[in-house]
Amino acid sequence: MLRSLADWLAATPPSVALQARPWTSATSESVHIVALSVVFFSAILINSRLLGIGRAGRSISQLTQELTPWIWRGLGILLLTGAVQIMAEPVRVLVNPVFWAKMVLLLAVVLMTAGFTRAVRRNAAQWDAAASRPAGAAAFAWCSTLLWVAIVVCGRMIVYVSSAFL
Amino acid sequence: MRAAAAALLQTIQSWPIAAAVRGDLAGSEWLFPIIETLHVLALTLMFGSIAMLDLRLLGFGRRSGAVSALARELLPWTWTAWCAAAALGTLLFISRAESYVHNFQFRMKLLCMAVAFLNMLIFQFGAFRQVASWDHGRPPAAARLAGMLSLMLWLGVVFFGRWVGFTS
Repeated sequence: MLRSLADWLAATPPSVALQARPWTSATSESVHIVALSVVFFSAILINSRLLGIGRAGRSISQLTQELTPWIWRGLGILLLTGAVQIMAEPVRVLVNPVFWAKMVLLLAVVLMTAGFTRAVRRNAAQWDAAASRPAGAAAFAWCSTLLWVAIVVCGRMIVYVSSAFL
Repeated sequence: MRAAAAALLQTIQSWPIAAAVRGDLAGSEWLFPIIETLHVLALTLMFGSIAMLDLRLLGFGRRSGAVSALARELLPWTWTAWCAAAALGTLLFISRAESYVHNFQFRMKLLCMAVAFLNMLIFQFGAFRQVASWDHGRPPAAARLAGMLSLMLWLGVVFFGRWVGFTS
């Protein structure tokens, strides 16, 4: 079923146009990496502060307030350029378990981040002091870091694994 | 001179470690994708931390907090990630040294990086020395220019880097 959907997509005019111009894919992937840098580094910076790793700077509430808008904006660009990638190579991406694993991990980390942001906004003072931080803070930081790393790894591996399923 | 350089590149490429990264040794087929993935992880941390400071210099985002404090917070990330990305990139390079050296995008990537370092040095020993006088306000023109150049040059490094993968 996925295969027929991918084949149908590949025959649509936008996909045909993208397939004929490989440079559009390369450009879109470059923008994807730039947006990824913003999102990934922002998340890692917040997580490392939650774990007390690295040099202290801004507080948790400051970091969250300043960086989450960048995370959501960056994610918007990632989804957009990701859609271009799908249209450029529908079969390679959609008929690929690594891509679907990536989407599940992405959904998980987005929901986690939204919950975390809301919790910090409600109770900034409690999150800022290491002693009063909720018990799950460290667990959240590790989970979020592992999920983001896994998402990046999946993204790169889509290219290498795809050939095995065609 | 040219012959010596070509011979050197061939020697490097014949090292066992180069063959392993290339996937030529038994069981090393996944080494290149793995190193490449780690290179991407390192470069995103590097570019993310650089862009965050550059954008502050350019006046984007919140102006709360001193520039010097932000630099102190971010620079350890930048240097650690840069060293990791450079070391991993060197491994990728030696696997196909001859082809990369002649690759236009690869050359442009190195050029952008060299100019970015020069720009950083000029900023470090120029506008940043008087940071105390503009730490909380709008950075002076020289600092804004340095931020803009840094952002453009590192964007160039990322773009050309991605293109190397398509053209080599």
